[in-house]
Amino acid sequence: MAAVRARKPATAMIEIDHVSQVFQTSARQDHLALSDISLTIEDGAFVSILGPSGCGKSTLLYIVGGFVRPTKGAARMKGKTISGPGPDRGPVFQEFALFPWKSVLGNVMYGPRQQGVRHADAEAQSRALLEMVGLKGFENFYPKELSGGMKQRVALARTLAYHPEVLLMDEPFGALDAHTRTRLQNDLLNIWERDRKTVLFVTHSVEESVFLSDKVVMMTRSPGRIRQVIDIDLPRPRRRSELLLDPRYQKYVVDIERMFDDSGENELPP
Amino acid sequence: MIAGRALLARVTPLLACCGLLAVWQAAAIALHNDSFPTAVDAIRAIPSILGDKDALINIMASLRRMAIGFTVAVAVSIPLGLLMGRSRFVASFFNPLLMVIYPVPKAALMPIIMLWLGVGDLSKTLVIFLGVSLPVIYHSFAGAKAVEEKMLWSGAAMGLSAAQRLMRIVLPAALPEILTGCRTGLVLALITMITSEMIARQSGAGNILFNALDMGEYDTVFAMIIIVGAMGIGLDALFERIRARLVRWSEPQFDIPLSFS
Repeated sequence: MAAVRARKPATAMIEIDHVSQVFQTSARQDHLALSDISLTIEDGAFVSILGPSGCGKSTLLYIVGGFVRPTKGAARMKGKTISGPGPDRGPVFQEFALFPWKSVLGNVMYGPRQQGVRHADAEAQSRALLEMVGLKGFENFYPKELSGGMKQRVALARTLAYHPEVLLMDEPFGALDAHTRTRLQNDLLNIWERDRKTVLFVTHSVEESVFLSDKVVMMTRSPGRIRQVIDIDLPRPRRRSELLLDPRYQKYVVDIERMFDDSGENELPP
Repeated sequence: MIAGRALLARVTPLLACCGLLAVWQAAAIALHNDSFPTAVDAIRAIPSILGDKDALINIMASLRRMAIGFTVAVAVSIPLGLLMGRSRFVASFFNPLLMVIYPVPKAALMPIIMLWLGVGDLSKTLVIFLGVSLPVIYHSFAGAKAVEEKMLWSGAAMGLSAAQRLMRIVLPAALPEILTGCRTGLVLALITMITSEMIARQSGAGNILFNALDMGEYDTVFAMIIIVGAMGIGLDALFERIRARLVRWSEPQFDIPLSFS
């Protein structure tokens, strides 16, 4: 365990450099979704982007994913400007976005097969991954036959299967009930603590961000700006039962919630 | 009880047919009109049509034109519809054209097409092609448009190129919708097949029907209507079987069976 916990020297994995994003609304007006965002995400860090809905936090994630081109500025990965999606950055979406015509196993094998991994190897790896996310025995099910929580487990396994260096998680547990959500948070932490991939995690839940992250990036409502970056200095591996009783955890949660309250960020826009 | 219900579900369409024939029989007897034979007379005329070599050649010619028209239409329309669904440029180019062509009864174009291409197979096949194309394009278009953006993003992150995403994500994701279009197209193929033969009388099932009408052989007319109807039901049932197999993974689990499958 000690070997795993020893931190690698902090090198920048993702750099977001003065990124702004303007969208055209249906009324043909310009809407500034993100305003001059600069952020560095270190290799192996678990970073949450926290903000009220409509603050552009998902857009920021899509820019890092290469799915959306920023209006101004640039995002870089390991110093190289991001110009499109690639297997080095693996997204996990709130909507799961599984391929419904493929079985659970077929979904997980899709990435490795695309990368040219031999069928037998891809299958063996995928079966192992499915076991890791707790879906052994469901390999031949179709996505429609699974619950929301199980679908998101498949989506996570499908993304892990092609070994991205960065996981981009877009409110992945947002569509799940509270109980399932808690279980998936625990499982995600367990999986993450094994290989410590860089994770960019978008959420609007304060507890979720504090529980999971090394760093919480607080954003303001539109135009989305970075309000504050908070280092979460809590020991790992984290156990939910211990953490909930930990005054430091409680203080982080309360402090962050208070900061949002003070700025009226939780209010609805006029 | 379960078995009883399953049996009932199988027998019900048959009952509906028998009911229709019974109403026909009763109406024909009540009206007592030469141009409206009874169901029994019409059914009696069927074996003589199916036993006649010329009639069979005619029917086979119809089916061949229909198969060619349908296949070519599907092969052209699916890629076009998918491209329209994924590219705003392609959609804005073809949409106005299709909007003009859609409401025009394809058989109404038959006289003009006959002037250009004659009364032979080519004209009739072209009309069938036009009839089938539009619903298939439209449904492929709608299906491709509805494909979840995030699904395509997931594919892009795995390294699929734009062309690969179209073939390996958009096509399978839109398949249920595409096949709905093909099913409509199949029925329209049968309809345009008969109407084209009604206008360009030369050969085919429609030709037998309308020749019989001209000669006042009403038994044959109605027998042909039954035969054409049966062909439609048979083709639709066959297609539905293939469709259900291809999209077993998709949502609706309790489809109302529209055919005898």
